[in-house]
Amino acid sequence: MNPYYAGVLLGITLLLSYLILGAGLGASSGIARVGASIELLLAPARTLASEYFGNWGQHPLKYYLVFMLAGVFFGGLISALLANRCDVKVERGATCSSQKRLRFALAGGIIAGFASRLANGCTSGQALTGSAALITGSLLFLIFMFAGGYSIAWFVRRQWDD
Amino acid sequence: MIETFFGSGTLDTPAAFLASLLIGIAFGMALEQAGFGSSRRLAGIFYFRDMTVLKVMFTAVVVAMLGICYAKAFGWVTLENVYFLHTLYAAQILGGVLFGAGFVMSGWCPGTGAVGLASGKIDALVFLMGAAGGSMLYNEVYPILGSITTADRGVIFAYDSLGVSEASFAFFLTLIAVGCFWGSEYIEKKRHGKGEQWGTPFLKAFSAVLIVGAFGLFAVAGQSTSAFSKAAQETGLLDGLQAGLDHIEPQELADRLLAGDPSVKLVDIRTPVEFAQFHIRSAMNIQVGDLPASLASHKNQGLIVLYSNGMTHPAQARDSLFRLGFNNVYFLTDGLEGFLKTCLKPVSLRPEPVSRALASKINAWRAFFFALAIPAGDSAATANLSSALDLSPLKIPGLVETDWLNTNLGKPGLKIIDLRTQPEYNSGHIPGSLSLNLESLRGLVRGVPSSLLPVAMLAEHFSLMGVRPDDFVVLVCTDKLQDATLVGMACERLQHSRYGMLRGGFPKWQAEKCPLDTIFPSIKPSHYPVPERPETFTVTAREVLTAINKPGTIILDVRSADYFTGKKQDEARGGHIPGAINRPFSEDVATVDTYNAFKPIDALRGIYGKLIPTKETPVIVHCRTGHQASQTYFVLVRLLGYSDVTWYDAGWTEWAARPEFPVE
Repeated sequence: MNPYYAGVLLGITLLLSYLILGAGLGASSGIARVGASIELLLAPARTLASEYFGNWGQHPLKYYLVFMLAGVFFGGLISALLANRCDVKVERGATCSSQKRLRFALAGGIIAGFASRLANGCTSGQALTGSAALITGSLLFLIFMFAGGYSIAWFVRRQWDD
Repeated sequence: MIETFFGSGTLDTPAAFLASLLIGIAFGMALEQAGFGSSRRLAGIFYFRDMTVLKVMFTAVVVAMLGICYAKAFGWVTLENVYFLHTLYAAQILGGVLFGAGFVMSGWCPGTGAVGLASGKIDALVFLMGAAGGSMLYNEVYPILGSITTADRGVIFAYDSLGVSEASFAFFLTLIAVGCFWGSEYIEKKRHGKGEQWGTPFLKAFSAVLIVGAFGLFAVAGQSTSAFSKAAQETGLLDGLQAGLDHIEPQELADRLLAGDPSVKLVDIRTPVEFAQFHIRSAMNIQVGDLPASLASHKNQGLIVLYSNGMTHPAQARDSLFRLGFNNVYFLTDGLEGFLKTCLKPVSLRPEPVSRALASKINAWRAFFFALAIPAGDSAATANLSSALDLSPLKIPGLVETDWLNTNLGKPGLKIIDLRTQPEYNSGHIPGSLSLNLESLRGLVRGVPSSLLPVAMLAEHFSLMGVRPDDFVVLVCTDKLQDATLVGMACERLQHSRYGMLRGGFPKWQAEKCPLDTIFPSIKPSHYPVPERPETFTVTAREVLTAINKPGTIILDVRSADYFTGKKQDEARGGHIPGAINRPFSEDVATVDTYNAFKPIDALRGIYGKLIPTKETPVIVHCRTGHQASQTYFVLVRLLGYSDVTWYDAGWTEWAARPEFPVE
């Protein structure tokens, strides 16, 4: 799809989220809450006593952003199936091994998961949602996200080499 | 103003969950359509290979921004019905840099990762697992992050930060976005020899529409040039003040609470210590900083009434909540002092004449507000209400004098627990006291004998004894003070802070010829609730092992010196935990006349001041089974005010029996 059309669709979705839910989009909260509920299964007392996850109580999954994350998955699935873009594989450059690519994905995931808790949001919750509302801190997040990305990009470029 | 789930406080209902799911589906489809099911494409922006991310993100931001700006101008959206993110400078800047790094390394972000997973990308699955792990990591280090996570500046709009109008900032941002679109197309044209949209009629028209849309904001901006609804809010605040709509009279509050009005949410904003001593029945204790979060579910629903001793703090808190969109917050006229004076002062002590109607009302109020969790209609209890339990001379948890107990005997809300042997109890006890065998609160827990029972079992014991959460529990022992402090640990585990131990115990009571009784009190079992959050003062061997290698933590072994040195031993191994220091518990106690009591506070303060550098130093106390150490715990925490003391309950019993643990 023409990226500008996709952008308009995304913008309208975000606007509707503001007008219907009274809050914008978010994805990282859902992931963090899945993490919290896994920890809750393994060590309930410890998790409930922890300062951050403990705030979410015994049922961290009962939260609107968890449902939104599930929606993102299903929306992506529907769209990918319709467009015939479902394909089980490790996406990487031709000269990069799968293992190396997965190591990068894991390390990046850990960093991004940590950072999204620190900043209280990710590309969806801060960069899109907050910037559209012209929130000072969210616009700073957006700027520094690109700054961080560009400053590391050169070092991890090999995973995409063909 | 439109009705949103956030505005009506129903974001945690199934309807909101369904709406979120549907919005999520639209979100996921838009991301997938943009081609964001591919990490290679997402990462492309960082190598100027594929600028799709920039085009899609900026389009979405500008479209949603224009929508929100218009919605604000038309009054559909305000601070009350929409949740705007708060600004925390350091957290968002540092988080942004780290997030960008994680993004380019993995090629994914959380939302696109979910879409990638749906598209079958294994690297997306690995990314999502990493992100969940990263969140857990954050939870682990959260306590040491300190001010970076708490420096909350509230809702700040960028146009206010820069001191410009909303419309001009939005217009400026739109121009930047359009510039980026053209720049992106140009870069792609240079890289691949073709820019998909460079110079096409579509891009020209699209750019024009956005710019015209942003320009239109100047036309509707009129009243909302800056901090849109602030002015309206301030006017509302002043109007409310003038009309006296911000406070509630004590009589009205008393009547509503007496009638069991469910719409009243009463909040005590004083310190937990003051709250424990006395509070208006049904009040919840919330500290000012926690108000917005704790009251979120009551926002604009029913009546939130704040009180403190006076009026200044609740009034300030009320104004801050009002600015956060709470329109249903009131404070109590003349505070708690006024409430006591107006509603609860006995008729006989009032200088002014009191009408018969008011007198009966005052009696009803007194019966209700002084009845500590006594079921309505309990006539035996109401008869006693003329004199309520007065905890004000006490420091709780702490010591209780025999005089105080003697004057308060038989009052509702008082539970006395006698820890002597059953024959001793049977032959004469403090009137109304219950006999408890200390050992019934201990048992085999995870292989360690004589451990204090888990919290749910303790709650069951307290229920059988008829103890309620707002009862004041007095513990009575003989010359073994550690008996009372061990039951004190049970109270601590249940987070029952309303307890004290009788100074001098039963021997002093008896020596002073205070009343005795041989009757069993009649007890109605209660339902003692299990606290939502587990206590944190009990540590395990694992934590003690970590502490050995961590300088700064003091391990205090309270057994007698012979056991500490290993000269005497009852276990497989003698000696002590490496680095531990010895302070026998028995040295904190002295015999006075006929009874045992703690040494004077000043003497204890001097002794522990030499052993432990500061009141905040981490200290682990232990003995053989946790019994004697409970006494030192009580001394340090409840008498001397040490703030970081933990209790290794399993103690030497466990340590000696685990050959892998080091011994000195």
